[in-house]
Amino acid sequence: MFSLLEESGFERVKSAVVPHFRFRHQSTRNSAEAFGVKAVMLTATKPDGD
Amino acid sequence: MHNAADAQTSLEAVLKDEIIRMYEEVADNPTAEFHFFHGREAAELFGYDPDLLDRAPVGAVNSFAGVGNPHQRADLKPGETVLDLGSGAGLDSIIASWGVGPTGNVIGVDLNPTMCHKAQAHAASTGTTMECHEGRMEDIPLPDATVDVVISNGVINLSFRKRRVVEEMFRVLKPGGRISITDIVSGKQLTQSIVNDPKLWAS
Repeated sequence: MFSLLEESGFERVKSAVVPHFRFRHQSTRNSAEAFGVKAVMLTATKPDGD
Repeated sequence: MHNAADAQTSLEAVLKDEIIRMYEEVADNPTAEFHFFHGREAAELFGYDPDLLDRAPVGAVNSFAGVGNPHQRADLKPGETVLDLGSGAGLDSIIASWGVGPTGNVIGVDLNPTMCHKAQAHAASTGTTMECHEGRMEDIPLPDATVDVVISNGVINLSFRKRRVVEEMFRVLKPGGRISITDIVSGKQLTQSIVNDPKLWAS
């Protein structure tokens, strides 16, 4: 997602992991961990002169 | 014989139905247990201000199915126009409307017209207003350069065409506009069995 934002023209792209995000069930958490699934917060700006 | 584009179009149609079904289920059965946290429990987990949750309609809070708190970095200012992409039952739109005040404008876009009606009713019950348009995030039903801020919460991951979604957000933003979104990302390529299973993808 980070790369998509930059490639689409966004500037000042920032990301941070959402603290406390987790799935309810341990089995889902295990699957999520296996695929590197996490929740992130993303901010970005459209350039002024566009 | 179907080609790959036809197959994707068909899968997207099935996925749309599954997404509508799942999030209607959350809205209609807020006490049910899902594999994700939802409702007030989730909102508090992600740091939503309890006072705002107290002010918001119970129906909007109970239907909350976000994955984070896009308001924490949205830095909304009075008079701004906000697009809530995937507005659901309206909690994030309502909180945004309080942020931009009576001179601002909040526009929701959701796949499901029923959720749009719910969101607008929830907003009206708090004395605020929001527009809500039925539409796809891959084809946002708004003109170019009309939005100051895009917020979104746990929705973009549901799209097969994320690049298109990002391009659409860019298109509707005014120059200097910004996004503040929370979403699910995967560090590894999902298996084809997951990609081809609408229930898993919608999850």
